[in-house]
Amino acid sequence: MNTKNERNTETRSGESTLVARDLRKAYGHFEAVKGVDFNIFGGECFGFLGPNGAGKTTTMKMIYGAVIPTGGELSVASLDVYRNEREIKRRIGVVPQENNLDDELEVRENLLIYGRYYDLPKKTVLQRTDELLDFVQLSDKVDAKVEQLSGGMKRRLLIARALINDPEIVVLDEPSTGLDPQARHLVWDRLRALTAEGKTLVLTTHYMEEAARLCDRLVIMEGGRIIAGGTPKDLIEEHVSPQVLEFRASPDVLERLLTLVEPLADAVERTGDEVLLIYTEDADTLVARVQESDVEVENTVYRQAGLEDVFLRLTGRSLIE
Amino acid sequence: MRGAFRVWQRNVTIFRKFWISGLFPNFIEPLIYLAALGLGLGTFIQQGGISGQSYVEYIAPGLLASNAMFAASFESTFNTFVKLRFDKIYDAIITTPVNAEDVVVGEYLWAGTRAALYGTGFLAMLIALGTVFGEPLITSWWALFIPPMLLVIGIMFSVLGTLFTSLISHIDLFAYYFTLVVTPLFLFSGIFFPVENFPSPVPQVAWFTPLYHAVNVCRELATGPSPAVFVDVAWILVFTGVLALIPIQIMRRRLIG
Repeated sequence: MNTKNERNTETRSGESTLVARDLRKAYGHFEAVKGVDFNIFGGECFGFLGPNGAGKTTTMKMIYGAVIPTGGELSVASLDVYRNEREIKRRIGVVPQENNLDDELEVRENLLIYGRYYDLPKKTVLQRTDELLDFVQLSDKVDAKVEQLSGGMKRRLLIARALINDPEIVVLDEPSTGLDPQARHLVWDRLRALTAEGKTLVLTTHYMEEAARLCDRLVIMEGGRIIAGGTPKDLIEEHVSPQVLEFRASPDVLERLLTLVEPLADAVERTGDEVLLIYTEDADTLVARVQESDVEVENTVYRQAGLEDVFLRLTGRSLIE
Repeated sequence: MRGAFRVWQRNVTIFRKFWISGLFPNFIEPLIYLAALGLGLGTFIQQGGISGQSYVEYIAPGLLASNAMFAASFESTFNTFVKLRFDKIYDAIITTPVNAEDVVVGEYLWAGTRAALYGTGFLAMLIALGTVFGEPLITSWWALFIPPMLLVIGIMFSVLGTLFTSLISHIDLFAYYFTLVVTPLFLFSGIFFPVENFPSPVPQVAWFTPLYHAVNVCRELATGPSPAVFVDVAWILVFTGVLALIPIQIMRRRLIG
C-alpha cells in the first residue's frame, strides 16, 4: 500500500490526459451517462467502480470512440473526441469487456493482423508481437488457435493486442471479470507492470479488491452519475469509519442487536436479511457491550473498512448483486 | 481507403488458409447447372435455338455472372453477419485507426475479389471444357475482360447483400433474401432463357435488376461485345455507386452508438 501511495504522488504531477466535462450519453429517453466529470493524469491508473448498469462501459466506449456522446466535452490524449477519432484511436489501446479476438486466426496472427490496422511497419509488428506474447506469458502458445485458449489466456491475449501500437493510454473494461483467482492475479500483475512502465490505465471494475489493488484514484459510479471519487484511502477515510464489525444472525436477533448497537456505532448497514455491518472507531468496546447483553450472535467478523463499505454507505446496497 | 485495404488484407489472410475448402462448392455448383441444364435440357433445344448458339454455349457466360452473385452474396450476408454479431470482429477493428466505413468498403472489395477469383477459375474451366469437347464455350478474346467485370459484379452484389445484412437482427432472415431476391434474380435474368421474349412487364422489370445486366455483360464479352454492353456496364457502375453509401451509413450506426 505504501509503495503505491508514493507512486501516486509522482504521477499526480503528470498532466491531464483524459478530461470529461458534463459528459452525457442518452439512448432515446434512457440516459446511460448523466453528466460526468473526471480528470485523469498521465501515468496513473484510474478506475471506474460501480455495479452493472452504472454507465461504466458507456463511458469507456465514449473514450475509445465506439459511442458518440450526446452532450458535454471529452478529450482523450488531449484530443477532442468529436474531431480526432482516428488520431485518438491511434494513440490508445482497448481491452473490451467481451472477447472479440479473431477466432479464425492463430494467437500470433491476431497480433500481426491487428498491427496492420495501425499501419505499423512489418518489422516493428513482428518484434512487438514476440515481446508482447512474452509479456503476457503466452510465448508457448504462439501457434495455438484462439479457441483452444482458456479464459485467462484469452484475456491476456486481448491485453497484448491492445498494446501492439505502444499506446500511451490503455482502456480496460472489466479486465478480470469471469476469471478464476489465479488468472485474475496474473492479469493484475501484468497491469501493474504497465503502470510501472508509465502507461496511463483507465479501467472499469465491480470488484473492490481490483480497484483497491490497482487504482491510484477512482470514481464510484451509480445510475449514470459519479457519486464519489478520490484515492482508495481517501474514499475510505472520508465516507466510512475505519473499523467494521460484521454480525451474522437470524433476522429477529439482528433487530435486537440493531437497537443495542445503533447508539454506540458511527453507522450501521444491513445487507441481506442476516448480516449487520457496524462502522465504528472503537470495535473492542462495541464487541464487549454485545457480549454483556443477552443478544446471541452466531458469527462475528472484525475487519478494516474497504471500498465495498464506501459503496454500501453511499448507495445503501452491495456492489456485487 | 488505407483502412479498407487493411480489412481486405485480413480477409485475404484467412482466405489463404481456407481457400481449398471453399473452392470445391464454388466450382461444383455452376458445373452442376451447366451439366443438368446445358446438357440435359439442352438436348431438347435444337441447334441454333437461342441466338444461333447451342444451349450450353448460351448459358455458360450467364453462369459466370450468377456465380459471382452467389459468391459475393454469401460473403456479404452470412460471413459479414457472423463477423458483425457473433465474432464481434468489427467491434475490435474499429477501436484501431480503421473506421466503420473502412470496414464496410473493405468487405465490399473482398467480396468482389472472392467473386473474381472463383469466377476466373470457372472461366478457365469453361475454356478447358470447350477445348476438350471441341465446341468452344467462350469464343472471343474480349473474355479477358470478364475477370475484372466479375470483380465489379461481385462488389455490386456485396453492396446489395451488405444492405440487407445491415438491416436485419437475426441470421435466419437471410432465407428471405436468398428466396425472394437471389433466386428470382438467378432464374429471371436471362441466364437460361432470354427474358425479352416474356410478355410485358417482365423484360422491363428485368432491366431494373442487377443480375440481368451482369449476365448481358458476361455474354457479350464471351462472344464479342456490341456497343450495347456500355449501357449494361454503366448501369452496374451507377447502381453500385449510388447504393454503396447506404450500407456504409447503416453499418456505421450499428457499430458506433
